[in-house]
Amino acid sequence: MKNRLKVLRAERSWSQQDLADQLAVSRQSVNAIETGKYDPSLPLAFKLADVFELAIEEIFERD
Amino acid sequence: MSVTDTNSAKGRGPLFYAGLMAAAYAAVAALAITGAVEGPAIYILVIAPFGLVFPMMAAANRRIDAGGKNCFGKGMAQRRYMKRVALFTSLYLVVLGIMTFVLNAGDPHPAIRTILALLPGLAVIGIFWAVGRLIVEEQDEFLRMLIIRQSLIATGFALSAATIWGFLETADVVFHLEAYWWAVAWFFGLGVGAAANRVQYGTWGAV
Repeated sequence: MKNRLKVLRAERSWSQQDLADQLAVSRQSVNAIETGKYDPSLPLAFKLADVFELAIEEIFERD
Repeated sequence: MSVTDTNSAKGRGPLFYAGLMAAAYAAVAALAITGAVEGPAIYILVIAPFGLVFPMMAAANRRIDAGGKNCFGKGMAQRRYMKRVALFTSLYLVVLGIMTFVLNAGDPHPAIRTILALLPGLAVIGIFWAVGRLIVEEQDEFLRMLIIRQSLIATGFALSAATIWGFLETADVVFHLEAYWWAVAWFFGLGVGAAANRVQYGTWGAV
């Protein structure tokens, strides 16, 4: 699944570790989601949406 | 502190010690298969590389600690796993030593022989249990997925190897192998699973 995590992070000047800390996951998890290697569960997707204060559809795009 | 300083403070990684242990076991297996070493000496040689588990655990804990305070929460399940594996590995070493000593010293009662023979197996089951608990306790869903994937690959590897070897043994093509070697094959399979994780997801995983 495509996503805009890298852009959204860059807009906020957050590193992968910064985002991982806010999500309470590992940096590897953020990297895997960002590079499209791993699709997060719905609860984690909602957490991401909360952190960025966006809707899930504004972060993730259909392939 | 620079990146270089941080890396040197962390010291050698757990993979270095895991590699040393794998190389040592490969050497022991070669000695046993070629018949260069026989009898109780093989047991002693099998025990020795397990000593590398301890620096490996210490190295892994150093890596977890080096992740900073934010790494602490997600590292708790892995830290408990390391402690459990260290405990059961130590138990394994002790009971295997006792079993080898008692069996070589004389001809104990069958009941004692049975109990002695069960103990090392129970210690290894403890390590399987530790992997299971890690899957239950790991809060990071991506890392949990990696551990599960690694365990499934290890299971497939060990069962496939056991099946192939079993039929080859039935056909008298290969020599008899004690069944506990399939547990060793499973642990080796965890390494294969970690490599598969690295290739597909860019990270080795947590086991």
